[in-house]
This record gives sequence, structure tokens and C-alpha cells, in this order.
Amino acid sequence: MGLDSASRARFNLDRAAVLLLDDTPMGMSILVQIVTGLGAKTVYRCISVEQAQEVACNYEIDLAIIDGMAPSGHGYDFVKWLRTEAKEPNCYSPVLLTTSHTPASDVVRARDCGGHLIIKKPIAPKVMLERILWVAKEGRPFLFSGNYVGPDRRFRNDGPPDGVGRRREDLIEQEKAAAAAATAEAAEDPESRAAS
Amino acid sequence: MTSVRFVFPKVRLAEILKAPGGLAVADALERCQANLELIKPTCVAEMVALIELAESRYGQLGEAFDDQALADLYAVAVQGIGGGAVCGAPTVDNALNSFCDLLDSMRNTKRFDREAVGVHVRAWRLLMTPGLPPAGAEAVLDGLLKVSKRYAA
Repeated sequence: MGLDSASRARFNLDRAAVLLLDDTPMGMSILVQIVTGLGAKTVYRCISVEQAQEVACNYEIDLAIIDGMAPSGHGYDFVKWLRTEAKEPNCYSPVLLTTSHTPASDVVRARDCGGHLIIKKPIAPKVMLERILWVAKEGRPFLFSGNYVGPDRRFRNDGPPDGVGRRREDLIEQEKAAAAAATAEAAEDPESRAAS
Repeated sequence: MTSVRFVFPKVRLAEILKAPGGLAVADALERCQANLELIKPTCVAEMVALIELAESRYGQLGEAFDDQALADLYAVAVQGIGGGAVCGAPTVDNALNSFCDLLDSMRNTKRFDREAVGVHVRAWRLLMTPGLPPAGAEAVLDGLLKVSKRYAA
């Protein structure tokens, strides 16, 4: 992502509505200082999932910065709710997940809840800005697949590894090989052909 | 077979960020630092309150494995992560990360070592000492990481 801290390039968060969810006073305070420092003026501060759901139901959200809320992990539940239950356009809102520490039991929840990126605390303002600019990039698909609803998590598509084809093509190749083997076997064994 | 559906939603944030006006990256980052400096005293006070709570909970720990007591300590330690950098004691964040790793590993493996927990609690307070030489802080952190790695699941 590599943003130059001395860059004079401009960005504008004035009109962005930002939802913050963090249940610790210090965590919320730090987030607010960073987000307002970056220029956001409409900031919804939520300290519980219920508050965040209320905001998401009543206001249009341009960006959500959600703490995973260890040890309960309820922050991940909120993101899952946002993706599956909230109305458009909020269900597609960019979501940055923050985490202080992810217990081993929560790693899969964190991965599968539908957030765009996970930022480990302590959060440096530069890192936050880099991630905001990244999630705002257009053209990133949203995926509905089984239990997962959220952004396509693949950063790039390099295709199958070298020498490995697609699975559908593998099957065709296997069928061709099996047919060829059967033909060759029949040709080499005239007795069995005669018996049959 | 799982069906997959792709949607390409319009990202309003992209348009908003490109709107005229706004801030230069360098200026915005300076504003953030200034803002964080403003809340430093409050963060220090909150961190000290968390240390006191952790010390109290550590004092109540027995010699045997107690999952709930470890969960309670974890809930305190995890709240402090992120505050160290703002308080001017960045090593505290790493120390708390080590502490949380330790507590999480102990809960997963049902192993318990009161002294390993105690050294993290004591180090938390020590690392908050104003003017602590960075080399000393790093040495403390190095020791903590060795302890928590011993219990890594």
C-alpha cells in the first residue's frame, strides 16, 4: 500500500459518514482522534453492537471501522449482520476490522465475517489512511458463497499454479485418458475381445 | 456444489475521497498526531487503572488452573493494547500482546504457571515508567516473549 507520509496528495473525508464500534473508552477515543484528524466530520460512535445496528438501520454509512471486541468477538457478529441483514447500500459498506488480540478460537470468525481488512492495534494514523484508501478502490467484487457474504478476499488472481489446469479441464483430461486406456487395453487383448 | 454470486457495488467512499478540498496526506497525519497527543493524559490514566485492575485480579489467582480467572485477566489485558503507543510507551502494546498470547495459550492447553502470569503483570507497570531507556524496555519485552512462547499452543 506504501503511502508517503510527506505526500501533498489530497483526499477528502469531509462528507463521509463513518461508523465506529469499539467497546473500550480508550480504543474509541484513539479511533475518534485518528478519524477526525483525517478529516471525517460525521462520526457515529457506538460502544455496543445494538447501537451500531441502530445506526446502520437509520443512516447511510460510507465506512465502518469495527473492533472485533475481544474477548466476546461481538464485533465480528456485527459485521456478519451488516452483510446479511442490513439494507443496501450499507450491506456493501467498506469495513475495516480492528483487533487488539485475536484468540485462536476467533481467527476463523475474523476471517469469515465479511470485513475488508483487519488492522492490528496499535493503529498508526498512516496505516489507517492507507487502508481507507485501499478499501475505497472501485471495482472490487462482493461475493455471496455459501455462508460467506463479503468482499472477494483474493488480492490478485494468478490462475492455477504452474502445470495444473482447472478442475473442470482435469476431469475432461481424465475421461479422455480413461477412454484411451480402455481402447488400448481392448486392442492388446484379442482373446478377451473374442470371448466377449 | 456451492453456488457463487458476484456483485459489483458502487463504492460511494471512492467518490467522496476524490471530492475537491480535503487535506494533504502530510497535513492529515500531522493533525492525527496532534489529536492523539491531546488524549495522552487520559490514556495514561486509563492504562494505570487497567494495571491496577490486572494486579488485583492477579492477586486473587490461586495456584491451580482457573479458566474463568484467566479469562477475566485476558479481558483486562486486551483493553490496554493500542494504548501504549499513545501513552508514549510503545513496548507496552507488545508486552500486552505477549500477555494475551500467554493467557490464550494457557486456556487452550489448560496449563497454568502463576509466575509466568505475574511477570507479565509486573512488566506492564514497569514498562509504563516515564523515561524508561528503550534498551531496557526491549530487554524486558524480550524476556516476556520468551516466557509466552514457552506456553504457545
